[in-house]
Amino acid sequence: MGKQMTEMLKGTLEGIVLALLTGNPAYGYEITTLLRAQGFPDIAEGTVYALLVRIEQKGLVDVEKRPSEKGPPRKVYTLNAQGTKELDEFWNTWSFLSERLEELRKGGK
Amino acid sequence: MAAKWIELVTGSLEQKKQYKQAKARLDDLPEPYLTVAKAFNRYFMYYGGVTEGDTMVQMFSDLADLWERAAIDGTPVGEIVGEDPIEFAESFAQAYGGKRWIDKERARLNEAVDKAKGMES
Repeated sequence: MGKQMTEMLKGTLEGIVLALLTGNPAYGYEITTLLRAQGFPDIAEGTVYALLVRIEQKGLVDVEKRPSEKGPPRKVYTLNAQGTKELDEFWNTWSFLSERLEELRKGGK
Repeated sequence: MAAKWIELVTGSLEQKKQYKQAKARLDDLPEPYLTVAKAFNRYFMYYGGVTEGDTMVQMFSDLADLWERAAIDGTPVGEIVGEDPIEFAESFAQAYGGKRWIDKERARLNEAVDKAKGMES
């Protein structure tokens, strides 16, 4: 992944993950797999893990521990009301930013 | 009663027990996860600067979850950590909003700026 891509993703990955979780509870590895399928092939599992810890600490998701065939239980993340609110805000910010940038690009031509 | 008094001196015994449990889980990891988990732990001691015991314990047990899972699934270390281990370590540590030693200095800096602004009016 290019340096610029990494930097830009840093600011948006939380919104992307909240969007992926909408109506679709998932555990860490599933989320990484989803992200890769969505066109982010270089996402490290640890990056997603750190992000999941953060949104859990911020109270944006509910966490349920589900026993797994082997090893420790898997934590399943579900978007809660606060997370939905945060996601709405993310999309608003995103629309604003992308409109402004598009204007800039047109102006620059 | 006695336990309460001792905890005043030593910190929470429950926390110590949880910390030891998380530590033991890390020590039981197979290689190469053991090596990488230990390296992260060491880094967190320096970088984290977390002063709250609860936050610290939470962080260590989450870390044990992560590496145990990786060991069982056989996920390569590089896939967990990504290209930049420092980046991973710091964003992981920042996820825990506990109080840090730097907080005191941040408050002091804010106060100094407020005081300076006060001189302008």
